[in-house]
Amino acid sequence: MANLLWLQTGSCSGDTMSLLTADGPSIESLIRSGAIELLWHPSLTNAPSGHLARLIAAIEAGEQALDILCIEGSLITGPVGTGMFDAYKGRPKIEIVASLAAQAQHVVAMGTCATFGGIPAAPPNPTDCTGLQFDRALPGGLLPADWRSRSGQPVINLAGCPVHPLTITRCLAMLAAGLPLELDFLNRPTAFFSSTVHQGCTRNEYHEYDMEDHQLGERGCLYFNLGCQGPMTLANCNSALWNGRSSKTRAGVPCFGCTSPDFPRDVDLFRTEKIGAVPVNLPLGVARAHYMAYKNLALKAAPDRLKDREMEP
Amino acid sequence: MSRVTLDIDLNRVEGDLEFQVDLEGKRIVDARCIGTLYRGFEQLLIGRAPKDSLVITPRVCGICGTAHLYTAVLALEHLGRIPVPPQATLIRNLCLMAENVQSDLRQTFLFFTPDFVHPRYAGHPLAAEIAAAFTPLKGRTVLGCLAASRKILEIVAIFGGQWPHSSYMLPGGVTRGANARDLVDCADLVDQVSHWFAEEVLGDDLEAWLALDSADAFFAWLDEPRHAASALGLFCSVARSVGLQAIGAGAEYFLSGGACHDPARWQPPYGEQKTLLAAGLYDGRQHRLESFDPGLIEEHVRHSWYRPYPGGRHPFAGETVPDHQPDSDRYTWAKAPRYGGKVIETGPLAELLAGGDRLLASLLAAEGPSAWLRQFARLRRAATALRLMRQHVADLGRHLKEPHFLPPADDALEDGEGFGLVAAARGMLGHWVQVRDGRISRYQIVTPTAWNASPKDSDGRHGHWEQSVIGLELADPDDPLELGHIVRSHDPCLVCTVHFASRDKRFRYGV
Repeated sequence: MANLLWLQTGSCSGDTMSLLTADGPSIESLIRSGAIELLWHPSLTNAPSGHLARLIAAIEAGEQALDILCIEGSLITGPVGTGMFDAYKGRPKIEIVASLAAQAQHVVAMGTCATFGGIPAAPPNPTDCTGLQFDRALPGGLLPADWRSRSGQPVINLAGCPVHPLTITRCLAMLAAGLPLELDFLNRPTAFFSSTVHQGCTRNEYHEYDMEDHQLGERGCLYFNLGCQGPMTLANCNSALWNGRSSKTRAGVPCFGCTSPDFPRDVDLFRTEKIGAVPVNLPLGVARAHYMAYKNLALKAAPDRLKDREMEP
Repeated sequence: MSRVTLDIDLNRVEGDLEFQVDLEGKRIVDARCIGTLYRGFEQLLIGRAPKDSLVITPRVCGICGTAHLYTAVLALEHLGRIPVPPQATLIRNLCLMAENVQSDLRQTFLFFTPDFVHPRYAGHPLAAEIAAAFTPLKGRTVLGCLAASRKILEIVAIFGGQWPHSSYMLPGGVTRGANARDLVDCADLVDQVSHWFAEEVLGDDLEAWLALDSADAFFAWLDEPRHAASALGLFCSVARSVGLQAIGAGAEYFLSGGACHDPARWQPPYGEQKTLLAAGLYDGRQHRLESFDPGLIEEHVRHSWYRPYPGGRHPFAGETVPDHQPDSDRYTWAKAPRYGGKVIETGPLAELLAGGDRLLASLLAAEGPSAWLRQFARLRRAATALRLMRQHVADLGRHLKEPHFLPPADDALEDGEGFGLVAAARGMLGHWVQVRDGRISRYQIVTPTAWNASPKDSDGRHGHWEQSVIGLELADPDDPLELGHIVRSHDPCLVCTVHFASRDKRFRYGV
């Protein structure tokens, strides 16, 4: 049994909606089985007005233990460092978050906003917001890079806009069960961030043989021309399907790299940046010369069924 | 009598909401609805490629991202006078209705009915039934609602890949057309959710319930034991027993921009809303529907934390510069939209009144607007949507051989302005976009909750929610349960209300 407090900062509620969409484990099954006790969730808790303020005070005073603190949303420091663009009862949320984080066994950043700053942190970052322990790709956000929770771990970064539903509930179940949670170089759990979005994409065969689409709405690969970040993005979208059904790339929507620190990239999102005929950003870890050689060969080997777009993604 | 000011924070709404009310005794004599969050969203779009709005704006709101996506794509199509094939409109509508059904169900059974499981109602004659059905995350209806809302969203995933937050609508269509397999799956999903809705929520056949067309017929229906025992019956019995049909009236003008774009008629130049459910302003006092003119929309900032300007401004001419003055008579990050100078309510009740729902018009005439009627209309809208979804799936079958996407010309989005309006879960959502030299130069979003939760305007008139609670008697000012009922009946979504309208160049606060 682990208790959990979920706070929203500069958020769209998308990660909460994602939480409600997870069906195995689901939030209700985690509660029913006794894995999670919900101290507070802004959308789900049924408690009288004033309950949250009392709860925060009790945790800050050390009277109430806190196992898991989940933060959803960017940490807004504006205007001019006051944090008052996002306040709770006249107190900046960033101050409340920092104070609660000091008391928590585990702190989880729910979504790319809480992890890296996300969309609100895109230029010109009008609210001066940041992530919990990263500011875009730079270590150190609201909390410094060397900050550790009571369990000794940094902030656990569940990146994604939103986080994949099952990543949320599986991670909470792991924490509640005391299972090990190894983190990657951006403090994202390797259990969910060790494959690319490209892996499992049903347009892979088109990519393999260099059958690249030039306009949306078709069946081919979206990487070369239409901005798809799938080969560079670590996330499980095509190995744990969304809503039990599909993924953006399967449905013909480019991956926008929403689990990465630079999301949303400051370029046209439906267009691939190129040097000559080759994308600037190549699949993770691939050398340019090798990639060009491989693609030239692949194109020559492409079967007609792909050239004619007969294969359904 | 002395006046006491009470600060109330409310959860189980989307986003951050604080309400400040002035009490004389236990009676609310003034109210200030306070949006406490400012995210600067529209600012992020300035200077970007027009289509980037399809990625950025769905992230305004996690619960209605499909609505934002739809509105953004309509604004671009209006700007470029870009035609859209009927198959794409059918798919867009289907996905938007799926999202709205999800929201209506969750709002009702995760946000609204939990208030009935409150110690104050422990002695209610229906307390055992309430607990069995409505206990948060455990009650029978709540668990069914979670399962049904997940199920219906699978339709969005089929066409868009995921929910929340996808970008599958494009100027000129959608990224993926329907095939026969999809139709079977969608029909099954709509059927499963409709079946649960009929059995658990209505205790009746969906069509039979939708056929009820007068207050008398409805109250007779409610008297039948099978209907009274349903989730809807229980909600109505409890809500009405505690008087929710007599509180929370509000503005009494209901505005809808129309719902469900008509696949056959929705073509350039897009001057007027051509929707299956009509647009209009429904006058709740005169019981009269007036035509809708988007040119009459204006926003005021007199009581908002923005640089002042006189009167109101149309979104195409909007200006908003943050100016946080906590110690003045300005009290919110929300602006105050008005329609032809009128304070209005938007949402399912407005959508269905304008769309010609005779039962709701009859109930409105019989009892006036109320917290109960507003919440009741939400379930009525879910049923209406499920029926329309079934028809849409059947219609899609007749368009399978047709294109799902007509690629626009390369320069279609180089210059111009356009707007889009859809019926989002919480009411009329509008985006206004201006593009110069292929870059977004201005972007303005007016959300449903911006209308409902607006502060006072330049003429000092309270916003709709504020009006709906002024005069209310609180049984216990330390635990203002009645206020919670009223505010939640509006299905507040503060996350997408409080934003930052654009200017012609990128702007950074504090530098």
